[in-house]
Amino acid sequence: MTLAATGPWSGVYTKRSLVPVGRLAVGIALIVVWQLGTNTMGREWLPSPLDTLARIWQLAASGELARDTLVTFGEAAAGLILGGAAGAVLPFILRLSPRLMTALDPLISAAFGMPKLALAPLFILWFGIGITTKVVFVASIVFFLLFYNGLAGILSIDPRLVAMLRVAGASEWVITREIVWNTTKPFLFSGLKIALPRALSGAVVGEFIAADAGLGWYIQNARSLNDTTGVLAGAVIVTVLVMVVNAILQRVQARSLAWRPIARDMTV
Amino acid sequence: MSSAVPMLEVKGLAKRFPPRSGQAESPWILADLSFHVADQEFLTMVGPSGAGKSTLLNIIAQVDGANEGKIFFRGELIETANGSALHPGWNCQFGYVTQDDNLLPWRTMIDNVTLPLKLQGRFDAAARKRVDELLHATHLTGFERYYPHELSGGMRKRASLIRTLAYDPPIILMDEPFSAVDAQTRTQLQQDLLRLWNLGRKTIVFVTHDIAEAIALGDRVLVLSKSPAKIVADHRIDIKRPRDLGNLYKLEGFGDIFESVRRDLQ
Repeated sequence: MTLAATGPWSGVYTKRSLVPVGRLAVGIALIVVWQLGTNTMGREWLPSPLDTLARIWQLAASGELARDTLVTFGEAAAGLILGGAAGAVLPFILRLSPRLMTALDPLISAAFGMPKLALAPLFILWFGIGITTKVVFVASIVFFLLFYNGLAGILSIDPRLVAMLRVAGASEWVITREIVWNTTKPFLFSGLKIALPRALSGAVVGEFIAADAGLGWYIQNARSLNDTTGVLAGAVIVTVLVMVVNAILQRVQARSLAWRPIARDMTV
Repeated sequence: MSSAVPMLEVKGLAKRFPPRSGQAESPWILADLSFHVADQEFLTMVGPSGAGKSTLLNIIAQVDGANEGKIFFRGELIETANGSALHPGWNCQFGYVTQDDNLLPWRTMIDNVTLPLKLQGRFDAAARKRVDELLHATHLTGFERYYPHELSGGMRKRASLIRTLAYDPPIILMDEPFSAVDAQTRTQLQQDLLRLWNLGRKTIVFVTHDIAEAIALGDRVLVLSKSPAKIVADHRIDIKRPRDLGNLYKLEGFGDIFESVRRDLQ
């Protein structure tokens, strides 16, 4: 169908089948290195892959895995939706008023530079040790990632396309929907790609500080009991969660940006 | 409306861009520029690179404002210098085909072509038929679902051309639309344009730096000076239509006009 199927890119498709094999090889190599590390350092210091897996299995069987994952995932998702939506929408508003953009710029930079972790005690004071604190914490991290990526998208709009569409009778709303949105979308996806793992790790770190459930709480709890296997099992679960969410995002992105020549082979 | 009223009239247009920092005054791009175009006339304007040709079309299309001068459309004043807000395209009365094809990369070719019609709420059965005819006439049938990056340069050019023709504005402004394609494709595109123009005669203002192109296409050629641009000559082209653009130099009178336009340009 496309020119790529017969063009100089045709080789890419055969070479691509090697990718999963390579991934598997690297994965196995990492596990071997892990096991070697356990052998030299001792199981107390670095629990073996098998012990870690056994712990995860045990957590899954007892229902703790599902409960804690759900709590952490829920906090990350809520924070991502609230902070992400605000961060993604703000650039669209600022585009309409360059003066407001100039006015807000130093304020947003300052707020971005402020270490969120240092504010955690205040968040706990204001929102308690429940879910709300973690949601606010995640939102405060994610907001900036989407805001700055969205802003980069707004600034990369081709003014010639805007002029062309205006001449053809487009209103400001159509310009926003057609050009601003479509130009900014890939940038928002890049922001989301960074924001997703940050949201999950933000929720976990929030739970380190104050919580009574969640993967971060589980890891913190294991740490206080010198249960290294528990700590590692928790970290592995978080990692797997990030990978699953990333894979879903990649699917959505590939479908939504199908018009781009690179969308199917490379995702940034 | 009497036939004496020109379709488009430009009077005393002057333009300079706001001064850059550290510079007192920026130079005039256009100064006291006046001309008019009759209904259904194919007017070409030829001028050296950097003469302000694009600036002139931007002002007529109301993408940009002028410092001095007036523009009349069918006798109605539509632009006063430093006046009210710009109305790009003057309510879809002016089509504008630019140097770049400016197709939306996230839209398929057919979506790009029909977008203006949809925006104007005029994508009815008649418009659909017209689009089909235009696609056929420009050999784009079968490529409707392709994205712009999957089309050749010539195909993108033709798509951007029929995007404007499809919504049928009374005046079409063209800014060196064929400058970025190879010579062979270019001749083909010029031939296509003349055939389309013959199908439904429009008023066209076509700007180029290529003398041969200006003569081959136009009913009338205006010669622009170096910036600040002024009109230095006005040639009526009486070469019979349809014209065979593959053999320009065999067209009767082509050589003489070419020579005199070339002299005017110097």
